[in-house]
Amino acid sequence: MAQAMLLSLRRISRSFGGIQALDNVSLDIAKGDVIGLVGDNGAGKSTLIKVLAGAHDPTSGDVILEGRPQKLSPPAEAQRLGIETVYQDLSLIGTFTAAENFFLGREIAIGRGPALLRWIRRKSMGDTAMRGLEELNIDIPGIRSKPVDRMSGGQRQLVAIARGAFWGHKLLLLDEPTAALGVRESREVLDLIKRLGAQGLTIVMVTHNLDHLWQVCNRVVVMRRGRKAADLASSATNMEDVVAYITGAKEPMTPRPATTEAGA
Amino acid sequence: MRAAMSADHSLSETPVPADTPRVSSTTQALYPSPSARDRRALLMRLLGTYGTIIVLASMLVIFSVLQPATFATIGNFRNIINDMAIGTIVAAGLTVPLVAGDFDLSIGYVASFSGLLVVGLLSSSGLPIPLAIVLVVGLGTIIGIVNGIVVSKIGVNAFIATLGTGTIVVGLNYAYSGGIPLQLTQSREFTNIAIGRIAGVPHLVIIMAVVLVLLWMILNRTVQGQHIKAIGVSPESARRAGVAVDRSRIVAFAIASTCAAIGGVLMASNLGSGQVTAGDGFMLTSFSAAFLGSAALREGQFHILGTLIGVLTVAVGNNGLAMIGAPIFTQFLFTGCLLVVAVALGGIGRRYGRG
Ligand SMILES: Nc1ncnc2c1ncn2[C@@H]1O[C@H](COP(=O)(O)OP(=O)(O)O)[C@@H](O)[C@H]1O
Ligand SMILES: [Mg+2]
Repeated sequence: MAQAMLLSLRRISRSFGGIQALDNVSLDIAKGDVIGLVGDNGAGKSTLIKVLAGAHDPTSGDVILEGRPQKLSPPAEAQRLGIETVYQDLSLIGTFTAAENFFLGREIAIGRGPALLRWIRRKSMGDTAMRGLEELNIDIPGIRSKPVDRMSGGQRQLVAIARGAFWGHKLLLLDEPTAALGVRESREVLDLIKRLGAQGLTIVMVTHNLDHLWQVCNRVVVMRRGRKAADLASSATNMEDVVAYITGAKEPMTPRPATTEAGA
Repeated sequence: MRAAMSADHSLSETPVPADTPRVSSTTQALYPSPSARDRRALLMRLLGTYGTIIVLASMLVIFSVLQPATFATIGNFRNIINDMAIGTIVAAGLTVPLVAGDFDLSIGYVASFSGLLVVGLLSSSGLPIPLAIVLVVGLGTIIGIVNGIVVSKIGVNAFIATLGTGTIVVGLNYAYSGGIPLQLTQSREFTNIAIGRIAGVPHLVIIMAVVLVLLWMILNRTVQGQHIKAIGVSPESARRAGVAVDRSRIVAFAIASTCAAIGGVLMASNLGSGQVTAGDGFMLTSFSAAFLGSAALREGQFHILGTLIGVLTVAVGNNGLAMIGAPIFTQFLFTGCLLVVAVALGGIGRRYGRG
């Protein structure tokens, strides 16, 4: 692979007690990739996302960021490196405005030293958040005034993703960004992800909706029982194949040392 | 195997989040709807937002009608404000950990011990007044930091932890005093702190105002306040956003305990002596006030202005009862009932408000 690799996972394993959540997973993420991560329940998708987010350390294996071995944990370290994660739930503070959520943990403030002595600059946070959202063509009323739990689920998700994109200049991780959203809201969220991809942002997105894969992703990675079962260009595959990899009807095409036999 | 899968592409793993109905109840409350359930939800939301103010306003009206000559006078309200100043300082301090989502049951005991200790230091050691006060208030801060560490770093439930530290403080109190009140042997200067006036305004009222403004600014204008509010809503979201959750909880406990110690010192100055249990009652009244405050203007959220309204409600109730000549026991009944009502109103605000 001569292409500029943003981040490579090399034989990453992660176990929880006796459970092998990730088993020898290697993955190359090129700059600008929009990868759809799919698989059955318990396949290891969330664990993979959490390794990338710095929330879990791999039990073994290496992470190479822009050519250099890199430890991603704790999450603050991943964030410092430009990797942002939008979790499916628990990502926004309901009573805070979109602008306040944008800057939670990274407030614009006057003064230095302990947080107790740092004076929040609400106006400047509001302006910056407004600009950030405008640049992404996100039009939600009440960015600086409305608590996000007064917004619709779709608007909240737009805010959460926009925040991730605002801070995550290298890699944006999305865990089921359209789960629990209606058709129209999913549409808006997918459009945003598409726009971010078009701007060159690298994205890894877990999804359960295979239709969404082809709408936004240039690559499909299928996880099965902790292993990478398939890694395909979305233009070179179809729904039926992907489902077959998810269920195990089709076995991994990547050469794994022991098994070469195709499943029946 | 294939058959099982072919039915559906969307292998839904996650249930629909529980907040879906919450959103719809909010919108329904905005648009009057014929259904009785919506009307009930609207009523509950109003109760959760204005409940305390309704209680306060009703008491003002009732007592004014019953005792126009004594209750409804400027002089009486001056007294009410002056008498509630120390309680307000303690309750406003407690509000900070409550905003962060933590209880602090030790504040009353910290206030008692602080009052006793400051009198002891002044009488026996002959320390200069400012130094004695700084030491005692500093000790309060340290107790708060200990509370915060036990709760956040060691992970002991705040209820139990602060009950524990509070009891230890009671132990220190008895070890120091032997359970006997201490008299202030000297120093008019010390009693003047609480009793004095500047331009006719009692010191206590000025100190109360300063503490309220400071706490309001900390919660609403500083990064620390923003973090304290965030962890009170969702510690996990805050942690993921990069908020130092443990440190924020420790700071919140430290603020509460510092305010309790200030309250204790002022109480001693006001009484002119160190009483062993004089501050214990602040625990209950502060919780009443803070919970009442959470049902004032903010739909179940704790906030400084709300707590001030809460303290005022408790104070007006007690004063009014005394004015109409109600026996002492009714004040306990009233305070107890008010605490229950306050917690209920705050809960209603949270459930039916934005949630
Ligand atoms: N924190 C954890 N502790 C124990 N087991 C876990 C933990 N996280 C994940 N697992 C296990 O690892 C496997 C993969 O889980 P996960 O990555 O959440 O799968 P997916 O997101 O694809 O549904 C599952 O068997 C799950 O039970
Ligand atoms: Mg998952």
